This record gives sequence, C-alpha cells and structure tokens, in this order.
Amino acid sequence: MSDDGSLALLLLGPAGATGLYWMLYRHYRNTDKSHAFEHETAVEAKPVTGSEHKVDEVKGTRESSIRGNNVGAYRQRVQRRQDDS
Amino acid sequence: MSNAKPPSPPPLPPVSGPGSPRDVPPLPGQFPIDPATLPKPIRDELTAPDPVAIDTSAKELKDGANHCPKCGATDIRHKHGSDLLVCLFCRNEWQGARVEEEFGLGSGLDELSGTIIASGAKDIAADSAHLMSFKCSGCGAEVTVNTENQMTARCHWCRHVFGVNEQVANGAVPDAVLPFHIKKDDAIARIRQFVDKRQMFALKAFKEQFTPENVSAVYLPYMIVDGRASADVAGQGEIETARYTRGSGNDKKTYYDADVYAVQRHVDFTVDDLPLESSSERGNHDTSVNTNNIINTILPFDTKNAVKWNASYLHGVSSEKRDRDVAHLKPRLEDQLLSIARHQVVESVSRYDRGVRWEQESLDVHGTRWVSMYLPVWLYSYHQPGKNGGMLHYIAVNGRTGETMGSVPVQQWKLILAALTVGTILESIALWILAN
Ligand SMILES: [Zn+2]
Ligand SMILES: [Zn+2]
Repeated sequence: MSDDGSLALLLLGPAGATGLYWMLYRHYRNTDKSHAFEHETAVEAKPVTGSEHKVDEVKGTRESSIRGNNVGAYRQRVQRRQDDS
Repeated sequence: MSNAKPPSPPPLPPVSGPGSPRDVPPLPGQFPIDPATLPKPIRDELTAPDPVAIDTSAKELKDGANHCPKCGATDIRHKHGSDLLVCLFCRNEWQGARVEEEFGLGSGLDELSGTIIASGAKDIAADSAHLMSFKCSGCGAEVTVNTENQMTARCHWCRHVFGVNEQVANGAVPDAVLPFHIKKDDAIARIRQFVDKRQMFALKAFKEQFTPENVSAVYLPYMIVDGRASADVAGQGEIETARYTRGSGNDKKTYYDADVYAVQRHVDFTVDDLPLESSSERGNHDTSVNTNNIINTILPFDTKNAVKWNASYLHGVSSEKRDRDVAHLKPRLEDQLLSIARHQVVESVSRYDRGVRWEQESLDVHGTRWVSMYLPVWLYSYHQPGKNGGMLHYIAVNGRTGETMGSVPVQQWKLILAALTVGTILESIALWILAN
C-alpha cells in the first residue's frame, strides 16, 4: 500500500470522530441554518448577459477545480466595485 | 366598568337592526365629557384609580381607532387561526384590509425608482406617524396613541397623563401585521416533535426543564422590501481540456489541462417581499453568541396576506420593537441582492466545468420599497448557563406556515465520548487493514 493510502487510512479515526461530532452538533444546534432567501424570495430576472474570452491555459495541474472556486458560494462577498452607472 | 356617571355610547352607524343604542358598551377608559371641565370633586373621582381590577383587554385599544364597523364597540379581538377580527359585543367578524391591495404593494416592481418608504417604515420617531407608542412614566406600561386627534393621553393602567414628548424612542408602529394562524397547541406539538428527535445528546438540565407549554406568541419586527437592481460580476472560469495520469501503480496521479477565461456577467432583476429583521438584536446572527439564526431560518412568511396595522391583532401577544431604520438596513439589503444576483448567474456559467472564481462584483439599486411589518412567531426559549451570560436557545415556529427550527443545547461530554468511540472503532479497523 502507498504512503498516501496508509495515511488516509490512519486519518480515518480522527476524521470520523470530528465528522460525527460536527454532524451531531449541527443536528442539535443548527448553527449552519438560515433563511435561503436566494431560493425562497420571488425573484424575476431578465436574461443574464455577459462576455468571456480566453486569457490563459493551464497545463498539468493536479487540482480538480479552479483555485478559489466560489461559483456556488453566493454569500461569499468578493471585491465590491462601485457601481458604474 | 362601574363609573358613577354612565358614559354615553360611542357614535353609532345608522340603526339598522335589533338592539338599542343603550346596549352599546362605552369606550374603555374614555369619558363623554373632558374631565378637566368638570367641578373638582367630580374630576377627582373620575380621575382616581379604578378600585377594581383593570380590564387588560383595553390596553391595545387605547388608540381609539378600533371600532366594530357594525356596532361601534371597541372590544375587538383577533379570531385565532384566521385573519379575521371579531367584535366581542355583537360577534360581527370582518377581514382587515390587506396592505397588498391597500398600498398597491404587489405591483410596479418593474418601475421601482428611488427609495419608497411606507409611513410605518419611516425613521423611528418621525413626527409624521400618527399612531405612536408611549411609555407611561407613571407605571411603565406601553400605550399606543393616535396623535392625529390627541397629543396627550391618560394611561389606562395608572391614569397618569402624559404627552407626546414622552414618546418611546424605538416605539414606531408598523404598517402591517400578519396575524397568527398556527394555534398554541399546534406550536407545542411541533416543538415537542423537534426536541423528541434530539434527546440522546441534549443537555440534561434542558431535558428536565423542557416545558413547551411555556411557548409564547410574539410579533417580531421586520422590514419587507421590494427592489429593482442590476448586478455585475467578473472573474475567471476554467474549462477542462484534458485529463491524464502519470506514474504507475501506487504513484499513479491525475493531472488536468484547462483553458482559462475571463468571465463577466450582468443581470437585471426585481425581488418581491424580501424580509429583513428590523431589530438590531434579532438581526445579529452571530451563532457564537446567540441563536437568532434559528428565528431567521423559519422565514419566509406569506407576507402578501398581511393586513393593515390594527392593534386588535396584538391582543394577548407580546411584540418586540423595531430599532433599525431603512438606512441601517440598506447594507444588509445590498448584501442579499448581491447573493441573489450570484445565484441568478450560476446557470449561465455551467460550461465552466472546473468552476468560476468571481473576483469582483458591483450592484446598482434602482429602486426599493420598504414596509414595516409585524410577523407572528411562536418562541420557546431556554437559557443555558455559562460564561459571558450563557446562551439563550430558541425553538421557533412560524406562526403561519408552522415551519419549525430550534437550537437544543448539547451535553458536550456525551457528544465527545460518542465521537471518540466511533473514531476509535474506525481507527481500529484502519489499523487492522494496515496490519494485514
Ligand atoms: Zn360589534
Ligand atoms: Zn401608567
């Protein structure tokens, strides 16, 4: 077995303990819950417009997704530009 | 009421049925003649405290604005489980005017421009609000007064006379109220069910003291916001062009090639009835110091059914006061509008299979409309002692939909023990696999 595999197996105990702790803690305390206003508010949007152009190529990365992927993290604010209008 | 002088009845609609005007009860706490114009002995008697227990039902009716449309009586209550008001004198039932139609709140989202603020959502202590809450300096009771036709009032409880200058700073009266539909028994059952599912690791003291019958009905203050906005986001997205492995056996590793794109998106949208907590305390969702996120989670409400402010709906229900104005809430609104925009554009970037990293965003709010509203919540609370004052845990039930969410304090040692036990078993399995 590879070192990677052994390490992963050895981490099974601590990871399982931590995971179970947080799972149960959240089931009781629900600290992660809030109103999902993104889905539950009535929103009417015009068709989304935009642009894209290729700027670079990545070769031989081991990362399976873009670094800093926040496409699904709607509430994670990024640099706010003052509005252009 | 057992006053020496029988008060005359309130103004009546044209007599159109059985019963004589004499059957109409007097307005609570009101005299037909201004006591100040009467001789001193009579005045003293009239203004002396009532020897009998004071009818608590009249507190919310002190504004003098709630008359039964049929008989003019003022003993009006909310008919539980409905949006109706019922006159306790003649049993007449009627529906409060829905603010949606009354103020035209359901329409015109596409043309929203500027900041439109309903009168009840105006900055707190605005002079233009006719109905104002006063704190009686005699006994501390809250009294609502219609300042359109009276600038002074007498406390119904202790008969202290006070004026507009004693207005409670955070006592603005909302535009609308959404009446309770979920009844107490139903709320108790839901809370019980929620806790029944969380027994094993619950704090022992919590389980011992758990009495869902102590749940209380409370109107919480919200701003209900309509908005029209445009948002822009910009960043980079990646599309996978190749995937391959190098090495062999245990050293086999996966590598990726990708094209990188600069991506920009724009969306114009309207939102209808976004609810924002308008109490600074309730709006604080820091889960390390409070459990207000629990109350936030039971949103949304069917705010389209809210009725015009009428204190009769508040009978027997406590309420919390708003202490945030529109200006305070704008940053939170903008934050939520940006989140909504990010959710709106997600589909348009699905071809970036390695994801998108948004780096910049901007928001242009073209128009907003703000309505101040009381929303109905059943709240069960438990105070867990601890450092920094401990933690107040809530189990909240949406007074309209019945949606229930809660925070149950945990017995830490039990939870840690369970986690360690499972971790140890997993580790034993891991070691066994490695050894074989
Ligand atoms: Zn009536
Ligand atoms: Zn008083």
